[in-house]
Amino acid sequence: MQHTFTIAKREFTSFFHSPVAYLVMCPFIFFAALLFLLFQFQPQQPAEMRNVFTQLVWLLVLIAPAISMRLVAEELRSGTVETLMTSPISDTAVILGKWLGALGFFAVLLSPTLMLVITLEIWASPDYGPIVSGYIGLLLVGGLYLAIGTLASVLTRNQIIAFLLTGFVILLFTIVTYFLPRVLPPRFGELAFYLNVNEQYDAFSKGLIDTSNIVYFVTAIAMFLALAVKALETRKWR
Amino acid sequence: MIEVRNLTKWYGPILAADQITFDASAGRIVGFLGPNGAGKTTTLRIITCFMPATSGTAKVNGHDVFTESHQVRSSIGYLPESTPLYPEMRVEEHLHYFGKLQGMKRTDRVRRIDALADRCGLTNIRRRLVGQLSKGNKQRVGLAQALLHDPPVLILDEPTVGLDPTQISSVRDLIVELGRDKTILLSTHILPEVEKTCQSVVIVAGGRVAAQGTPDELRQQVSQQTRVLVEVQANPMAAKEALASLPQVDAVETNDHDGWCRAAITPKQADADIRTEVAACIAQQNWSLRELRHEVASLEEFFVQITSEQAQAKAG
Repeated sequence: MQHTFTIAKREFTSFFHSPVAYLVMCPFIFFAALLFLLFQFQPQQPAEMRNVFTQLVWLLVLIAPAISMRLVAEELRSGTVETLMTSPISDTAVILGKWLGALGFFAVLLSPTLMLVITLEIWASPDYGPIVSGYIGLLLVGGLYLAIGTLASVLTRNQIIAFLLTGFVILLFTIVTYFLPRVLPPRFGELAFYLNVNEQYDAFSKGLIDTSNIVYFVTAIAMFLALAVKALETRKWR
Repeated sequence: MIEVRNLTKWYGPILAADQITFDASAGRIVGFLGPNGAGKTTTLRIITCFMPATSGTAKVNGHDVFTESHQVRSSIGYLPESTPLYPEMRVEEHLHYFGKLQGMKRTDRVRRIDALADRCGLTNIRRRLVGQLSKGNKQRVGLAQALLHDPPVLILDEPTVGLDPTQISSVRDLIVELGRDKTILLSTHILPEVEKTCQSVVIVAGGRVAAQGTPDELRQQVSQQTRVLVEVQANPMAAKEALASLPQVDAVETNDHDGWCRAAITPKQADADIRTEVAACIAQQNWSLRELRHEVASLEEFFVQITSEQAQAKAG
């Protein structure tokens, strides 16, 4: 466990040494503020963040793969994976540490949007319940996307491929599962609808923390991380 | 310390290591020598638990690399080929990070890093970014990192590649010094390095162990005999005749070299030194002499011979 945090900490700090971090951060903050001004900070609008949140979730489709693409792929390319994997640590510690580090960076990425909440507080009196649940939901969605990205990053040493692969899988969970119910028989349609990330996130943006939504995200994250651990193990056999 | 038995590794259809067997006993520096692509790195990666072998076993410090991988990894200090390091970290951070992964406590790490900075010559670059270091300094950082947890076994994959001559000799000195109390497996394709630093040598070629033993033992196995080389001012035919008539001489080869006759004289007895007899013969003939040299087969010739035999065997 201690190793997991050691790796997570290194991963987290290394984000700030790379230009990618700032290239991800700037558009994210810019679009978050823009969405806030266009959809939320308007006369007659309720003092909430819901519209911003539902739009930001879409932005994560691009942001999360950009964060996660280098996690393991970079180590595979530069060869540092050799010193890392010959240290007495488990594969699980490596994957979990990398994912936690990325999640930490994502949390930092989200933090400037608190300015928007403060703006709301200055001009009106927002209800903090849905705002807090919205942030929890965003962290879960981000966590899921980063877990997918971690897996993709283990599979290839090429960061662009890792980025595209992550984006592709995320689209399966967002756009494909959104349109699929229209062509599938109702029973399967329901299943596809259940797998849709945006559908699962909706409750959080409304201020609803439902166990079923949390179970969805936690199991999906656990599944992708477990796959990443297995993928890292099988790398040795090839 | 290190026991390798029948280690075989297939990369898909390619056989990278074929039945490799050798030992490295405690407190020895073992040179792992071979041309590029001989299977050195593959073998080292299996010993360091980076990847499993297709068949065969390897034990380090009594622990099997496959079933007791954690113990093996704690007892090995590994410097991979080309010294991969994180460029965005500072030297000290880098060492602390790997110290933590080895499970070292903070006080231990600080003490150890201070000691190693001195020993590996990192004192002036402790706060520098790894990415901005020269190749030689990176190598030192990699070496310090391998030594961090004071492992009984050190595995160094081509530690002197890309260094300038002074750096090479300083790294060599460090290795010899470390070899006093550690088992070191040193992979290289540079022969003088092995002759200068190692107490025993394993030569691999084409994925197989071609020969092993101490450098002296290997030198004795060289099939080419010792020779005496002379350069005299004489007619090649006459020189050949005169030298071949000596009772100790088996064969003479001569050739003309800008008016000088160069002769290679092979004695009948493989390790005999016949310089005095040759000199007497030349003096008797009254030829002017500009070179007289006793040539002992070098490990280099042995290496070339062995590896080319292997290459031919593989091709045939």
